[in-house]
Amino acid sequence: MTYIAPLPKDAIADPELRALMAEAEALGVPDDLFPRILARAPEQAAPLMRALIMSHAQGNVDHRLKEIMRILLARFADDKYFASLRSAKARAMGLTEQRIDDGCFAYEDDAKGFTAAEKCALRYADLMFLDANQLDKSFYDEMKQHWSEAQIMELGAFIAFHYGMQMFMRSIGA
Amino acid sequence: MSVNPDAVGAAFFDELRRHYSDDEIVELGAFIGFNLGFHTFFGTLKFYPLFSPDGRLVSQAESEKLYGAAPVSLGKTAAAE
Repeated sequence: MTYIAPLPKDAIADPELRALMAEAEALGVPDDLFPRILARAPEQAAPLMRALIMSHAQGNVDHRLKEIMRILLARFADDKYFASLRSAKARAMGLTEQRIDDGCFAYEDDAKGFTAAEKCALRYADLMFLDANQLDKSFYDEMKQHWSEAQIMELGAFIAFHYGMQMFMRSIGA
Repeated sequence: MSVNPDAVGAAFFDELRRHYSDDEIVELGAFIGFNLGFHTFFGTLKFYPLFSPDGRLVSQAESEKLYGAAPVSLGKTAAAE
């Protein structure tokens, strides 16, 4: 039971938020708990849901990689809610639980088969809230060897936003 | 939420509810989460405020000299004056 009770689904009238909830239900991330809690702040609910879905499932970075990064961050945030959710789209693209665990705990191990670009992106997620001081010029120079600046912004904003929402869900006892 | 998330528990929410409605707590929590994430991200990009404490539009090089590695907020600067 969360510290803040979610609204009943049928109490949500905003058609945009309801459409986003349906989109998220098909994706699997988030389930309806997150938007039903957000709906208590109706002016923020739809924009935050839209950003959460768009940053995760759209863009120009492989969705499977972002799914691994999302779960890595949720585990680091100790957010059991988001850590337990899985993207149906990523699963359909071939992402397995073993690959997720490898990406969270052993991505630097060459035997796990992550590319240099994937390792760099996973390190980005790993270090952002562990030790942001390591994300310095030399790190961004390395990122630029593998990713465009647009992709780096996509990844950085994705990491920042999802971690923030994970910490929020953790804080309310989800 | 950022420095000691374990301290944000049932007792803390009971205290929050003495001052804020559940709807307001959700608004605050989402706001904090959003800022917690993006301020850390922006901090890694090494960019500085566009304006000096006295309101001049300044270059990034000048802004870095003014604010340094640990920027003092404009509010704090103004309060000190």
